[in-house]
Amino acid sequence: MGSYLIKRVASLIPILFGISVLIFTILHLVPGDPASIMLGTNATPEAIAALNKSMGLDQPLINQYLNWITGILQGNFGVSVHTGEEILPQILKRFAITMQLTVFGVLIGWVLAIPFGILSAIRAHSKTDIVVRVFTLLGISVPNFAIGTLLLLGFSLYFNWFPPIDVVNFWEDPIEAFKVFILPATTMGIVVAAGVMRMTRSAFLETMDKDFIRTARAKGNSKWTIVMGHAFRNSSIPIVTIAGMQIGYLLGGSVIVEQLFSIPGLGQYILEGIYQRDYPVVQGGVLFVALVFVLVNLLIDLIYTWIDPRIKY
Amino acid sequence: MKKRVLAGFFLSLSLVLSACSGGGTAPTEQGKSAEGQAKTELIVAAEQEPVGYDPHKVPAASSLRVYALIYDSLTKLDENMNIVPNLAEKWEIAPDGKTVTMFLQKGVKFHNGKDMTAEDVKFSFERIMNPDTGSIAKSYFSSVEAIEVKDPTTVVFKLKNADASFVANTASAYASIVPAGSTDLTKEAIGTGPFKMEKSESGQYVLLKKNPEYFNKELPKVESIKFQIMKDEAERLAAIRSGKVDISMVSADSAKLLEGKPGVQIKNYQSLEYSYLGINVNKKPFDNPKVREAISYAVDRNQIIQTVWKGEATLTGPIAPALTNSALDPATYPTYKTDVEKAKQLLAEAGYPNGFETQIETAATYPDMVETAQVIQQQLKAIGINAKINQLEWGNYIDTWKSKDMNLMVGRNTSGVDADRSMRFFFSTTGSANVWNYSNPAYDELVQKALTTVDQSERKKLYDEAQTMLVADAPNLFLASPKNYYAVRDNIDFTPTAAGEVYSLIKTSIK
Repeated sequence: MGSYLIKRVASLIPILFGISVLIFTILHLVPGDPASIMLGTNATPEAIAALNKSMGLDQPLINQYLNWITGILQGNFGVSVHTGEEILPQILKRFAITMQLTVFGVLIGWVLAIPFGILSAIRAHSKTDIVVRVFTLLGISVPNFAIGTLLLLGFSLYFNWFPPIDVVNFWEDPIEAFKVFILPATTMGIVVAAGVMRMTRSAFLETMDKDFIRTARAKGNSKWTIVMGHAFRNSSIPIVTIAGMQIGYLLGGSVIVEQLFSIPGLGQYILEGIYQRDYPVVQGGVLFVALVFVLVNLLIDLIYTWIDPRIKY
Repeated sequence: MKKRVLAGFFLSLSLVLSACSGGGTAPTEQGKSAEGQAKTELIVAAEQEPVGYDPHKVPAASSLRVYALIYDSLTKLDENMNIVPNLAEKWEIAPDGKTVTMFLQKGVKFHNGKDMTAEDVKFSFERIMNPDTGSIAKSYFSSVEAIEVKDPTTVVFKLKNADASFVANTASAYASIVPAGSTDLTKEAIGTGPFKMEKSESGQYVLLKKNPEYFNKELPKVESIKFQIMKDEAERLAAIRSGKVDISMVSADSAKLLEGKPGVQIKNYQSLEYSYLGINVNKKPFDNPKVREAISYAVDRNQIIQTVWKGEATLTGPIAPALTNSALDPATYPTYKTDVEKAKQLLAEAGYPNGFETQIETAATYPDMVETAQVIQQQLKAIGINAKINQLEWGNYIDTWKSKDMNLMVGRNTSGVDADRSMRFFFSTTGSANVWNYSNPAYDELVQKALTTVDQSERKKLYDEAQTMLVADAPNLFLASPKNYYAVRDNIDFTPTAAGEVYSLIKTSIK
């Protein structure tokens, strides 16, 4: 286990290095440079040149990459070419917001998904099951920007209620933070719930068919003990897998929800960076998301061994 | 046991991470106005995040709307687009037009308490003109030879040649007066303007507080302005309807949706922008003037106004109609009459009786540009020109625009506040924004002469002639000048004008 952990952590280094080269190359291949985007069709060629020079973008690409990567190794993500702000504090601050949103979203999703998923499995083909299955189908097929827009407009039109606009730290004012995050987190939660619910249902259906469940039944255990004591743990590997993947995707991919509800999270930060060709912001942001993604995956792998002792590394 | 610890770690990780969030604390009392207390803060929805506040370097509209409230320029435009005093209380132009003397307001202070003097003006303009600054306004002041400080409140601009647009250009927010000795204006913004920078929370809002020492004692009328960053139009609509924001710019379509809704009024004004179809006059077959003329006859501008702008736009020439003093009535242009037969005949004369294939580049970022391109595509089909539309992402669009190598391109220009910009900057042979390779010595001569003519009626004649020449040569087809729309809460006294949002915000009050 210990050596496995060391091996996994060590393997992150080439992965992150590869990502850094890839993102740098792709980003610099994309047409458009920050200076001409900033100046738009107001630009004079000399103004563009002067601006690029002041941002250090007149240097050869290889030098730019080396400067960037040596900075990163020293914990210096550089400054945004657009606003002159330090990038690392921004990434951390915005990641914390995205994390808050993700945690809310995932919690809402799981609270909906797991009980209803189990219910629809043990009452397969009942009315409850049909309702759950229709919900999962809708949750998976309706895009989250549509859900978000409907929630936003619905609440403001019919209840004249609009979530507070400024993001609040959960620990400073939980109620206000809850109000800020409730609509965006529900938007994400519905999508999360649909996936997890489906997985829970099919995992449970499969487990309930196993011999040990029959044995448990034969021993005269109550339904509750069978479901929670025997089936739950044995069904949770696929559920944890999909839930883990969702956390990873949500952390990097909450862009649309953040954009829709003006949540200044990491996704929005990177997206804005892409529009503006703010190279250091995009590079640093993507590298950070990649790091989080692989760490979440590592954690999921470790949780497997806890759930199922037969899994050994 | 170990496993429990692991699970506990996983769960608490999320909580710890959200705990370390700087998250931003909610500004107190914003918009909520405590019981019995009058609301004094104006909340404006901003579609884009500001990208720094250096008025000489940052042209982004999202930044300009903020720094133009913090800084002042020497002159400004009133609601009728006339140039009126601002930091300069008056000015004198020598008879030969080569010397402009600006007399500054007395007793104006920067936000840091320092007096604003002629030295600051000299410093600001020299900073703009220094190529290392990379200032956007540098080309506005290319005629300036030297700046002299006569006394603390008098500055003399010596020009290489008479420049009739000089005073108008000093009204630009890009020509704001900054404190002498400023080096890095990216983050800290210290001006003489009606508002001071209070707080800027990246990704969330910018808060400005009233400058109590503003030289115009009557203004501004609100205590603070908060620009709330809301990138999504649906969110802005929901926010204005539920009263979370007071003012929001909205699209023409959304304006229609909001009309007659309780608590909200829609206000509009004729913008200084116009849409165009750009034509690369170096590319075959567009190097043939007859082909360009044919395209002009084939395009029905009124249909574009109806389809793209739902009738809420005005026909335009090279100068947007909002610049009433300079713009020529489009009815005077013969090629503005749609005549498909004549267009076909011209095309045949040019050697293309069966038309040809080409492509139109446009920016996917702006739905109106895409729609305009689609309407034109249909109209050109009628004379046998088959155009493919290429929707480009903004960065790519700018690159294509700069390349001077496109065929046809749909875009939008801002006329600027002086005819010189609309004409020379975009279409003279050496004009910085002339990417159409248009070069006509007679046109160059006209606009250069207009620039150095001080007599206004003489100048107007020259520009009339230049506009007619430009429309006939058609390096661009000038299409429509749209209106801009604001949704405004009922209790807000806000009147937008072409002079700009900033001008209107300073005068805004809360009822």
